Amino acid sequence: MNAAIPLIDSDLVGTTGARHGAMGYLTDTTLCIGCKACEVACKQWNQLPMDNLEWTGYSYDNTKDLSATTWRHVAFIEQLDGTNGHSPGVMPPFQSNWLMMSDICKHCVKAGCLEACPTGAIIRTEFDTVVIQQDICNGCGYCVPSCPFGVPDLSASDHKAHKCTLCYDRMVDDLEPACSKACPTDSIQFGPIDELMQRAERRVAELHQRGVKSAYIYGDRAVGGTQGIDGLNCFFILTAEPEVYNLPAYPELPQDKVGSAWLATLGAAFAIGAVAVAALRGR
Amino acid sequence: MTTRYERTWDNRRKQSKQTPADESANGARSVTDQTRASYYGVPVIHKPHWKWLIIVYFFVGGISGASYVLASIAHLVGGKDAGRIVRAGRYLSLAALLPSPILLILDLGRPERFHHMLYILKLRSTMSVGTWILTIFSGFCGLSALIQAAEDGLLSRIGFANRLLLALPAKAIGAIGSLFGFGMSGYTGILIAATAVPFWAKNYRLMGPLFLTSALSNASAAITLTLSLARGTSHSTLQRLEHLDMLAAIGELTLLIMARRNLGPVIARPLREGSLGNIYRWGVLGVGITAPLALLSLTRLKPHAAPRLLAGISAALTLIGGFLFRYVFVMAGRASADDPQATYEFTRRERPLG
Amino acid sequence: MPGLGARLGRGGATTFQQNLAESDCIVIMGSNMAENHPVGFRFVMQAKQRGATLIHVDPRFTRTSAMSDVHVPLRAGSDVAFLGALVNYVINSERWNSDPFFREYVTHYTNASVIINQDFKDTEELAGVFSGYNPETRQYDFETWQYDGEQDHSTSPSGDRSTNRDQTGPNRDEAKEVQTAEPRGEFVGRLTGQPRTDPSLQDPMCAFQIVKRHFARYTPELVERICGVPQDLFLRVAEALVTNSGRDRTSSFCYAVAWTQHTIGTQMISCCALLQLLLGNIGRPGGGILALRGHATIQGSTDIPTLYNLLPGYLPMPTSVKKHDTLTDYLQVETPELGWWYNTPKYMVSLLKAWYGDAATPENGFAYDLMPKIEADYSFQKMLLMMKDGIIKGLFCMGENPVVGGQNAVLGRQALANLQWLVVRDVFEIETAAFWYDAPEVRKGELRPQDIKTEVFFLPASLTGEKEGSYTNTQRLVQWHDKAVEPRGDCRSESWFMLQLGKRLKELYAGDTSARGRQINTLTWDYPTIGETGEPDLDAVIREINGYTVADKKLVKSFVDLKADGSTACGCWIYSGIMPEEGKNLSKNRRGDEAAALEWGFAWPANRRILYNRASADPQGRPWSERKKWVWWDDTQGEWTGLDVPDFPKTKRPDYQPPEGAKGIDAHPGDAPFIMMADGKGWLYAASGLRDGPLPTHYEPWESPIGNALYPEQPRSPSALFFERPDNVYHELGDPRFPYVITTYRLTEHLTAGGMTRYVPWLAELQPGGFLEISPELAAELDISNGDWVTVMTLRGEAETRAMVTLRLQPLHLGDQIVHQIGMPWHFGYGGLAKGGIANDLSALVQDPNSRIHEGKSFTCNLRKGRAAGHPAGYSTKRPSPELTRQAGEEEGHWVKGDVKGDHGA
Ligand SMILES: Nc1nc2c(c(=O)[nH]1)N[C@H]1C(S)=C(S)[C@@H](COP(=O)(O)OP(=O)(O)OC[C@H]3O[C@@H](n4cnc5c(=O)[nH]c(N)nc54)[C@H](O)[C@@H]3O)O[C@H]1N2
Ligand SMILES: Nc1nc2c(c(=O)[nH]1)N[C@H]1C(S)=C(S)[C@@H](COP(=O)(O)OP(=O)(O)OC[C@H]3O[C@@H](n4cnc5c(=O)[nH]c(N)nc54)[C@H](O)[C@@H]3O)O[C@H]1N2
Ligand code: SF4
Ligand code: SF4
Ligand code: SF4
Ligand code: SF4
Ligand code: SF4
Ligand SMILES: [Mo]
Repeated sequence: MNAAIPLIDSDLVGTTGARHGAMGYLTDTTLCIGCKACEVACKQWNQLPMDNLEWTGYSYDNTKDLSATTWRHVAFIEQLDGTNGHSPGVMPPFQSNWLMMSDICKHCVKAGCLEACPTGAIIRTEFDTVVIQQDICNGCGYCVPSCPFGVPDLSASDHKAHKCTLCYDRMVDDLEPACSKACPTDSIQFGPIDELMQRAERRVAELHQRGVKSAYIYGDRAVGGTQGIDGLNCFFILTAEPEVYNLPAYPELPQDKVGSAWLATLGAAFAIGAVAVAALRGR
Repeated sequence: MTTRYERTWDNRRKQSKQTPADESANGARSVTDQTRASYYGVPVIHKPHWKWLIIVYFFVGGISGASYVLASIAHLVGGKDAGRIVRAGRYLSLAALLPSPILLILDLGRPERFHHMLYILKLRSTMSVGTWILTIFSGFCGLSALIQAAEDGLLSRIGFANRLLLALPAKAIGAIGSLFGFGMSGYTGILIAATAVPFWAKNYRLMGPLFLTSALSNASAAITLTLSLARGTSHSTLQRLEHLDMLAAIGELTLLIMARRNLGPVIARPLREGSLGNIYRWGVLGVGITAPLALLSLTRLKPHAAPRLLAGISAALTLIGGFLFRYVFVMAGRASADDPQATYEFTRRERPLG
Repeated sequence: MPGLGARLGRGGATTFQQNLAESDCIVIMGSNMAENHPVGFRFVMQAKQRGATLIHVDPRFTRTSAMSDVHVPLRAGSDVAFLGALVNYVINSERWNSDPFFREYVTHYTNASVIINQDFKDTEELAGVFSGYNPETRQYDFETWQYDGEQDHSTSPSGDRSTNRDQTGPNRDEAKEVQTAEPRGEFVGRLTGQPRTDPSLQDPMCAFQIVKRHFARYTPELVERICGVPQDLFLRVAEALVTNSGRDRTSSFCYAVAWTQHTIGTQMISCCALLQLLLGNIGRPGGGILALRGHATIQGSTDIPTLYNLLPGYLPMPTSVKKHDTLTDYLQVETPELGWWYNTPKYMVSLLKAWYGDAATPENGFAYDLMPKIEADYSFQKMLLMMKDGIIKGLFCMGENPVVGGQNAVLGRQALANLQWLVVRDVFEIETAAFWYDAPEVRKGELRPQDIKTEVFFLPASLTGEKEGSYTNTQRLVQWHDKAVEPRGDCRSESWFMLQLGKRLKELYAGDTSARGRQINTLTWDYPTIGETGEPDLDAVIREINGYTVADKKLVKSFVDLKADGSTACGCWIYSGIMPEEGKNLSKNRRGDEAAALEWGFAWPANRRILYNRASADPQGRPWSERKKWVWWDDTQGEWTGLDVPDFPKTKRPDYQPPEGAKGIDAHPGDAPFIMMADGKGWLYAASGLRDGPLPTHYEPWESPIGNALYPEQPRSPSALFFERPDNVYHELGDPRFPYVITTYRLTEHLTAGGMTRYVPWLAELQPGGFLEISPELAAELDISNGDWVTVMTLRGEAETRAMVTLRLQPLHLGDQIVHQIGMPWHFGYGGLAKGGIANDLSALVQDPNSRIHEGKSFTCNLRKGRAAGHPAGYSTKRPSPELTRQAGEEEGHWVKGDVKGDHGA
């Protein structure tokens, strides 16, 4: 895997591109203890059923990824094989050698799922979050492959698309979303994006200073938020490459391709038309 | 605050060419081994649910649009001789169109809510645009088919309508409808290209043209097949169609080669490996393109050696190949969505967008 | 928790979890705090954010290790060697010897300078045992361990008649090894006056020198040889501890059951107390020892105990093997002359008044004769054996799942099958209730349901949210919780059940004048009830616990108001003050603040958050440093003050010297912070109270692959309690058939025996099946791949499960020998959604002599690839039946039904 992601534009660092007043999450994986309280709190609040009962052997991760019924998912990556295959006794401070990361819908500043949705079921709320309206969704499933992060999924029981709502129903009542509320170590921090981004920058600087040189923000415009997505309203502090956590390094907004794809198709249509005219021309 | 993130990892992650760990779980493999190449082989993105309904729709929808286009062009420039092509094209277009909305609606998770798509148009949502193209195209397609029916005297019993239809500017309708016909056969490529699925998105500029060309070749083949079966089709008509068939096949082949090269080895893995690879090689390239091309070349060499039969066979092969093309491309997209390496590859580098 | 009790005076956490945030170094050893106390771990993370060093000493790399700066993998059960080496390191370290702080703390606040009986012999002299050991009874006589000079022998174990009395108990032999109530005098010391001391700490028989000599052989090399810990790693821990202790810095320790569940568990804990005393970390903010307790109110259930040998407030249970015949006898034996326990009569009499009301009069010894006297060991393991042997015929099992959680669960199930009746009150039909048709033995056909004569009653219990009540958490903090919803159907709370049981027994025994009848008749049992279902009014219970004056039923302000003349009643003296005024239940307080959060809940005793906090000030009463100030002497007000409730007589001056002949707490000088101890000092050297020695000594676990590198002749604890019998066979040390060390532990995702988690879909899916963890090296040896089925075996039983091959476990190099460790979560069983082989089918009944806790954390086993015959675990790895998945959705009346991840499919 590629060792470093060069910064594309240093001016972009530290801004998610979110609208003012946008709410979201900073998930600081260096504070995550992998307790999965967030996963359970989400299921409890949203009354989501269990996925399945499959023991995976994937470290302590048995739910594997986000799904129609798992809107928070905690990944576990064991990375202990340092010196001669033994776990190193002394480690960089904060989460190390066994990475845990609580994944969630990124509530993209420009969201692939939202742009894809042909029914308008997916909307952007007053909190700048991305929510699927269950009374509109007709289960076309187009949002599913249109999300560069693999978030929404069709439910096998009601056949509609589901994903995190950023607890819209709690936010409108001035309640903190369930998962961050449950997080014991404040690994998940909820708040206005501008504030969170400042906090994230400070935290990354602090981590660098304390020897966690690999820490960075995933989801500002610089990393994991360019190429049209323009930042994530749920961003992360990570200490390894995005791929380690099963995140794409440079995801792109699929709909940005629509224009040029149509142009190319138009060109092809002309060419084909010309060929057809040539071939079918009457003699 | 650092203006530049220096990111060095000492996480001992090795550049690895292994297949996802899951696939070969033999030997004393530890949990860590299983995350060296990817996160336990778990897909990064979710694949679409699309399968048979959509594959069939892509096939018939493409034929419908392209037949309409061919019929219209033949009507415009084909002269008197092209009547059979126009008729066959218009009818075929309608015939292929009819199952399309049914397939699409059945594919919905909530079919009873299909109309939710019709309250809104989103230009950047190709599904939305496609829905409207299909809707509008249906009008043109139906209308043109009715005009054809009227011309064929099938509607003489309802005299008023018959007269009205015959009075309509069929060429103009065909010309405008053709725009939507092109849309019909091309949007599906854009639909799948404008996703996060590496196999499709990597070639986002080629998918529309590819689907369009393939649709043209299929439509042309469908018309050829129909006419080759019908009695009294003139040799020149068939020749024109064969000509078109050949050009389309060459175009398709060119585009496929371009697409394949653009994908690179990792993302193209589904085309290389397993049954899908075989179907692609033997079915799409062999049966669907090379064989018809060979047969058609044969007819060129020996113009009178049972052209009708050869044309028919080559058309049938083209159709089979066209269907397999869609099957392979849909399934390969799903497979590449399931392959974390493909997604990593696809999203690894900063790429300027065109 | 005698480990802390015997050195500090109280068997509870000395500090509170929030205060960990103030620590400069936190050593988590014997616990997996991030996984098992995730909410408390929040404060560890806060400390970390402030720059504290975090160290985790654990055989496995866990979620706690992942957050630590240093992870030290050690061999399970070798903790005393590690801690002992820390003691040795500290005593000889440059910093400890040069910084006057340590000397000042240790000489004033501990018994370092006390001269010990010249007859005392250390294990170093007697090849692994201390003086006073009787190999016949495997017991110690504490006599030679005592302080030199004047002793009071009236409260000595000579009052203990356990060996010379004709037993009439249910099982004569058992009584010989009876664990009597904790002998108070032994615990806190049997002093009558000030002991002889050498403040220069030079006398070879002073406690300090004895400690120093005892640990001299505990070197980094020894740590490597016994624990398998590389020397540099050990030194790093030692260095971190020493640099982060002192006037301006404090370090704390957190432990839980990975220290208690050993045959030398108590000594591990006591060794930690010794170390923390040496480092001057007790009684100070950011210092101390956090005993992380288990179940939500496990602390509460030792305070107001479910233990057979204690009365509420740690008063010893009267027993027939000591001279406890009358109240006067009892009080005489159990009341020390010096220290806080001098007040024992006040608490005992007030308890009797609370229980027997008007029937308790000064004339009849406050009805003391009605109180049952125990005469055998009824601790959990002994109880199982008595059930198996037909001595105990019936069992109430309320909130426990012994056939999964109890050691040697195979024997446990046989024991249940031998009962006449069994009552299980639980929220699900747990394994214990279903054993007669669902146990592995039954599935395998070895036991037939029709042959089991046990009559099983399953009673539904209401859950936390369906009842109000209190929890006493790990830091002695009592917190109230409200009822959220009515219980469903016939579900009832424990208090309802107990009230009803009492009422019905009273009805049955009405008018019965026999001893047994009177015991039931006289009991006060007049709790008012509320609501339709007649739940007892818990405020009335809290009133009784708090205590009141008998005459006018007015609440007392605190235990200071309790009297020994029968004018007050109190259900549990240490909780007194929880309801100082009518209607003011302090456990309902919910006001937090940055320091001690005194208005959040109520912490016993007297709402103190850090115990022995007098030690947070120097001998003159000034804070040791500005950064670490907590409680100090305010000379202008003439009282102790600070951020916490002082754990010291409020107006006792720092320079107070006791007058001749002073008793109780008045006999302590003004610089004696450990008020429960007879001499007011923290005990580096425990002159009595610990049944296996005054100083911690490394012994191997009862089952170990190697011998004892320190004392080859004395490999195992000489005083551990064991039950060698055909249904409880042990592995010899180094038995080649069982070459691996196995340890058992918890996962965040499940709770203990799983009754509350494995049956709940949301939690079951997070850890859907049993597994064990092994290193890639061991996996390679046995040809096991990640995810394979494996079977673990001991002479007690076998368990099939899945293997997780992970670098988080690693082989340990003990000198030339390599020891493989196997880690196995013990949550799983044959019931519920998440199933798996039972770890406790492998473990054995063997105990620590002090706490009677089993050795579940280290024993030996063998492992092979493949499933066990007959798949007794019967656990599924794939999707459950649709009915099961559907449950979650349907029960909540929600839209989603049986949602299964995967292809939607067209
Ligand atoms: N999520 C969750 N939380 C719980 C519980 C639960 O079941 N689930 N149970 C509660 C209860 S009842 C209790 S008592 C507490 C228990 O809390 P803990 O004591 O933390 O629990 P364990 O997981 O049994 O053991 C802790 C660690 O000890 C390690 N260990 C094993 N042997 C040794 C040894 O010899 N020395 C040392 N130093 N470490 C060793 C194990 O590898 C394990 O990581 O947790 C409470 N909290
Ligand atoms: N090998 C090994 N064995 C161990 C341990 C170990 O580390 N290793 N740990 C030991 C420790 S520390 C502990 S604490 C024990 C725990 O072992 P157990 O106490 O046997 O196990 P739990 O599952 O906690 O049992 C509690 C039961 O109470 C039920 N319950 C919950 N609420 C209520 C209620 O309000 N009323 C009633 N009546 N029931 C209720 C739950 O459903 C559950 O079934 O296991 C011990 N066993
Ligand atoms: S992460 Fe995916 S689902 Fe979430 S807002 Fe972005 S595109 Fe939509
Ligand atoms: S599945 Fe629902 S939410 Fe997703 S794109 Fe289709 S209509 Fe929109
Ligand atoms: S914000 Fe709400 S819906 Fe989203 S993951 Fe958290 S709890 Fe679930
Ligand atoms: S609740 Fe917080 S600490 Fe626990 S897994 Fe989720 S993010 Fe991590
Ligand atoms: S389960 Fe309860 S006691 Fe345990 S950490 Fe969570 S809140 Fe605390
Ligand atoms: Mo426990």
